Amino acid sequence: MHREIAVLDALIPTLLFAFLLACCVALMIDWLLTRYNLYRYVWYPALFRLAVFSCMFALGGLWIYA
Amino acid sequence: MSVMNLIRGRRSRLLITLQAASRDWLREDAPMLGYLLKVLMASLFAMWLSLKFELDQPRTAMLTVAIVMQSRSGMVFAKSYYRLLGTLVGIIISLILVALFAQERVLFLLCMALWIGLCTAGSMVYRNHQSYGFVLAGYTLCIVGLPAAITPELSFNIAVTRISEILIGLISATLVSDLIFPQRLWDLIQIKVRQRFSDFCDLLRTNAQSADTSTNSKQILLRFIGDIYSLESFRASAMMENDGAKQNRLRISEMNNEFMAASTTFHALEELLRRQKTNGHPDVGSALLGLYRGLSDAISLAEKSARNEQEAVRIANQLCAYSNNFDLHLTTHRRQLPKDISGRALLDFETGAELLLRLADELYTYALTYSSLSDNAIEPSFKEGLTPPKLEMHFDPLAVALAGLRGALTLGIMTALWILTDWRSGVEAITIGVITSTLFATSASPNRTIKQFMLGAIIGTVLAYLCNFHLLTQAQGFGMLALAVTPTILLASWITTKPSIAVVGSGIFIVFLMHIGFNSSYNANPVTFINDAIADLFAVLVSSVMYGLIDISSSQWSRRRISSSLRGLIVTACRSTTGMKRIQLENAAFDLVQRAGSAQRIAEEQDRLVIDWLLSTLEIGHAVIVLRELSTQITHPHFSEQLIVSLACIVDLYAAPSESLRLKALTAIDNAIENLSTDNSIALAIHESGAGLQRQILANLHFIHSALLDEESVLVAKEKN
Repeated sequence: MHREIAVLDALIPTLLFAFLLACCVALMIDWLLTRYNLYRYVWYPALFRLAVFSCMFALGGLWIYA
Repeated sequence: MSVMNLIRGRRSRLLITLQAASRDWLREDAPMLGYLLKVLMASLFAMWLSLKFELDQPRTAMLTVAIVMQSRSGMVFAKSYYRLLGTLVGIIISLILVALFAQERVLFLLCMALWIGLCTAGSMVYRNHQSYGFVLAGYTLCIVGLPAAITPELSFNIAVTRISEILIGLISATLVSDLIFPQRLWDLIQIKVRQRFSDFCDLLRTNAQSADTSTNSKQILLRFIGDIYSLESFRASAMMENDGAKQNRLRISEMNNEFMAASTTFHALEELLRRQKTNGHPDVGSALLGLYRGLSDAISLAEKSARNEQEAVRIANQLCAYSNNFDLHLTTHRRQLPKDISGRALLDFETGAELLLRLADELYTYALTYSSLSDNAIEPSFKEGLTPPKLEMHFDPLAVALAGLRGALTLGIMTALWILTDWRSGVEAITIGVITSTLFATSASPNRTIKQFMLGAIIGTVLAYLCNFHLLTQAQGFGMLALAVTPTILLASWITTKPSIAVVGSGIFIVFLMHIGFNSSYNANPVTFINDAIADLFAVLVSSVMYGLIDISSSQWSRRRISSSLRGLIVTACRSTTGMKRIQLENAAFDLVQRAGSAQRIAEEQDRLVIDWLLSTLEIGHAVIVLRELSTQITHPHFSEQLIVSLACIVDLYAAPSESLRLKALTAIDNAIENLSTDNSIALAIHESGAGLQRQILANLHFIHSALLDEESVLVAKEKN
């Protein structure tokens, strides 16, 4: 996997795209959990959200760098 | 034994005192301390991250934290979102301008002035955080565009660094505010909603008891209007929070509109009672009060107002019963009136009864919506089909244009100074000048705000000097760096928690962080520092002069404009072919006054005039709208013509108030009332279209008539001036 992608000749770290993708995925999961009121099983929703995002972003990072 | 009891009693008393004290502390001081801690943590975290990533200016990240940090998580999210959007748009425009005019500085600056003017105008049109986004899109051009134009080859780097720093600031602010002692906006909304309902009920009850309508209730009414807008802004921010607030968004906004309706009807009723008291029949007054007390009983639970949603259900039931039995009570009270009472006095009674019934119905729907807040299930009607009632945008185009002009002119003056004198700190001065002259355009009284900011800027400069040349010189490592900036951050964020002097705090923040003496390494230089500090203070001075020169909120002229636009609403209500809805009138009128900031300065004589016009507009406007709705059912050609003539007279009066027009309108309405109540053919024709129709038309006509007749009304006061 390339670590940098050229967008209009500007080299942009692939990690940035991984970040944005992770944001989207985390938001989608968040929406689903809210929609079906699943947050009632979670002790600290904010922390849970952050953790979900971290997992997604870490997956992206592993995919690029490992 | 008794000694033991004594000791135990004393101990428990001490315990109770301590408990009360700790409860107070938990309620008032603890959230504030928590907030200070959060601001500090977020700024230090942002600083650490930017230093770690070796970004050029950690100060931008810290400044971002200082700007978006607020006590409630939802508001932080909302502001962050718009800060990001505004920055992105500003940067894109900067890059475009640099690409187009990097060599031609006059053209470049002209386009910049145009863009900043447009953005400031946009910030006047939109509200809350959206308005901030517009301001930011404007002044980002100074922060990114100007340095980029000077060194075009670095422009892409400048832009990317700016975005990265802002993102770091936003991430640390949102993380800290969401993870550490999160303060949910929803709790605040619930408190506000509950308090408003019980306050309003209290007001109604005291009025019904004393029947003494003082000017005091006008102020309370204005506070309610302010509440409507603060609740609306909370609601807008609550979009970003993921809980009750999001699910109940539509309900809150609907409730806001219902409350607006109820409070204006209440005001109309109050005015009617006041007029009744000064020059009406005393028996009619007491009969109306009797009916009114029935209503006040209906909204009370054992002499108290409802404090939560469950109690509101019971209130709603009581109100329903009151409305159902209203006719019965009405007949009893009517029968008790003396036989020889004049037709006019009877009309007074009918009008008051009509208003009371309307108020009861409105309170009923309001209480129903309020009580539905507690059940978290989303109602089907809210999910689909029903369009959310929306607060629309109403503004004075001229005021918006002038605000834009002010931003552009400030930029023009500062850049002219920069170019003509070859000023070393010119860019700094331009940036601060544009920020201050656009950021406060939407505040209630920009003149006072900018003075506070100036004070903050001076304090911030002093603190920055101390920090740069006494503390930072001795600091080693991140820990000591953090220690050096901590006192100022704490002081400034503490000041921002005090609403009356909050701007002083943001002044300290902005100026201190702009001058802080380190980027990736220590680089403070006394000469540059003092040059920049002078430039900053000078720029703030220039924008305060600009606010003074182009004063669109507190000058006599602007108040006259608002009053005439308020009167224009009546004209539209009478004339518009589509038929204006009541909710539109209320929204438009409140929005106009809110934007002008008059509601916050009711104490001033000049602003009271605006408020009086607002209330008069609402009173007459409602009656006119109801009349126009009813008039479609009237089949009798002669009478509907009379109604049209009356409305035309009201239009003339409100277009250009004068004594002769007032008298003309009074005669026209008098004629209509006379015809309606005496001419049998009309009464018959109207009776065919509906039983209550005649009563409603009469009541509304009479209401307008008595409002116009009122010697204390603003229509008459205008004549005296």
